[in-house]
Amino acid sequence: MTNYLDALSVLLLVSAFILMGNKRTGSYIKTFQFQSALVALLTGIIGINSFAEEGRVDVLIIGAIVVGIKVLFIPYLLKKTYAKVAYRVEKDFFLNIPLLIIICCFIVVFCYYVLSETAGINTGIINNQMVNSVSLILIGLFFMISRKKAIGQIVGFLVIENGIFVTALFAIQGMPFIVDIGILMDILVAVIIMGMMVFRIDEKFGSINVDKIKDLRG
Amino acid sequence: MSDMILFFIVQTGFVILAAPLVNGIIKKIKALTQKRTGAPLLQMYYDLFKLFKKTSVVSDVSSWIFRVTPYIVLATAVAAALIVPVTTLIKPVWNSGDVILLVYILALGRFFMMLAALDTGSTFGGMGASREAMISALIEPSIMVSLLTIGLIAKSTSVFEMMTFMQTVHNPLIHPVYLMIFFALVIIIMAETARIPVDDPSTHLELTMVHEAMLLEYSGRSLALMELGAAIKQLVFITLLVNLFLPHDQLLGISGITAIGISLLIYLGKVVATAVLIAIVEVSTVKLRLFSIPNLAALSFILSFIGFLQFFVFGG
Repeated sequence: MTNYLDALSVLLLVSAFILMGNKRTGSYIKTFQFQSALVALLTGIIGINSFAEEGRVDVLIIGAIVVGIKVLFIPYLLKKTYAKVAYRVEKDFFLNIPLLIIICCFIVVFCYYVLSETAGINTGIINNQMVNSVSLILIGLFFMISRKKAIGQIVGFLVIENGIFVTALFAIQGMPFIVDIGILMDILVAVIIMGMMVFRIDEKFGSINVDKIKDLRG
Repeated sequence: MSDMILFFIVQTGFVILAAPLVNGIIKKIKALTQKRTGAPLLQMYYDLFKLFKKTSVVSDVSSWIFRVTPYIVLATAVAAALIVPVTTLIKPVWNSGDVILLVYILALGRFFMMLAALDTGSTFGGMGASREAMISALIEPSIMVSLLTIGLIAKSTSVFEMMTFMQTVHNPLIHPVYLMIFFALVIIIMAETARIPVDDPSTHLELTMVHEAMLLEYSGRSLALMELGAAIKQLVFITLLVNLFLPHDQLLGISGITAIGISLLIYLGKVVATAVLIAIVEVSTVKLRLFSIPNLAALSFILSFIGFLQFFVFGG
């Protein structure tokens, strides 16, 4: 059981690295979808385990909602938004990709350092999972500041949320039901609003590059 | 002594005979996905047989390097095949080389291939050689880090010892350290064997080619030797992947000649499965731009480095 969870946490980290190595907005969305599918699988495994041991069904329900929202609905919404504004290919990142990936590696090393300061690094198998999921949060944050286009930043925000969700799952087998539902509804609304904002930015400035918003318009 | 002879026969004979089959399987599956019948599975054997009978045409302006390179390429590939055992049931009598020798003996063959491509002075040759130099320089750190991490865990750099150690690991593909190394090695195989995300093996006379551009001046027997060498190198890398990450010899639980036979059959099955997977990756991805290859190499290096880090912090 812990072996499979370890492997899943490693796969999540690998998917974050692949996301960082992607160049096109279309492939960000696909990789995010893959990552969310991994999160849903993880939720399912932990849900079945907690159902078998304690008779709780709330993690399983959360897993089903994750499949509905993060695997199916949000990628669909992002693809639809992107299809409407993708008439021009622009360079999307501030640094080149090998450098971004190497900085991500430093982030992972930093996570090892930080988590080694907390209690329990040498005790159990949970630490590996914790390191990988906390790295996922920070890589999401870094992804958000490394991309210029608004859609890339939305994907970064969603990766941060995936990371927080997964950290909670690994640490304490999932947050209380109402908190999880609240967060999922929050990101759903946030993505819908941000999708509309992308349209507005595109209409107003002729591009979804957030650098251009700083230009003066008269 | 008999073990040693058996080892030689199995390693060289088996690898040389099986290597062209991998290419045949990959080409067949690619053809089937495009709704073509495709060439027969054994097409590369027929090609090699025909090429061996033909005379080779050599340019007047080329030096001895051009003529000697096909033999060096084949010899280094076969030497590399002797380092990577196809089954761990036959114990090599002498200490049959380690990963560092494996990497650099293949680099020697590649070095001569690049020299020969430059030797004739054709533009395609020079272009292919410079690209090959770039790709090999980019991929070398990741191959060293990933193989030496497994070596650190197994406490030996010998490939045989590493494979014997991996037999004792319970299901390496769900272990966090080996999973990272596995992903890194998959990317390395794509780059080293000139497969599609990095290089297109089926193009001729296009500006995108890397490996084929270097073979452009060769014909007849020399071409056959070069192609056989490339096929053997590909099988060596596939052997490294399947025998490290999908170990099976321990599961048999018997020894002797029959066990070796069964082990070789299972090994062939794993190679065929890997060939099918490579073909699926080839049809479902596009070739990257040359300047996007550093991204792939950086990804591979960082994945192997994080695998190393996980071993360092958590132990193997």
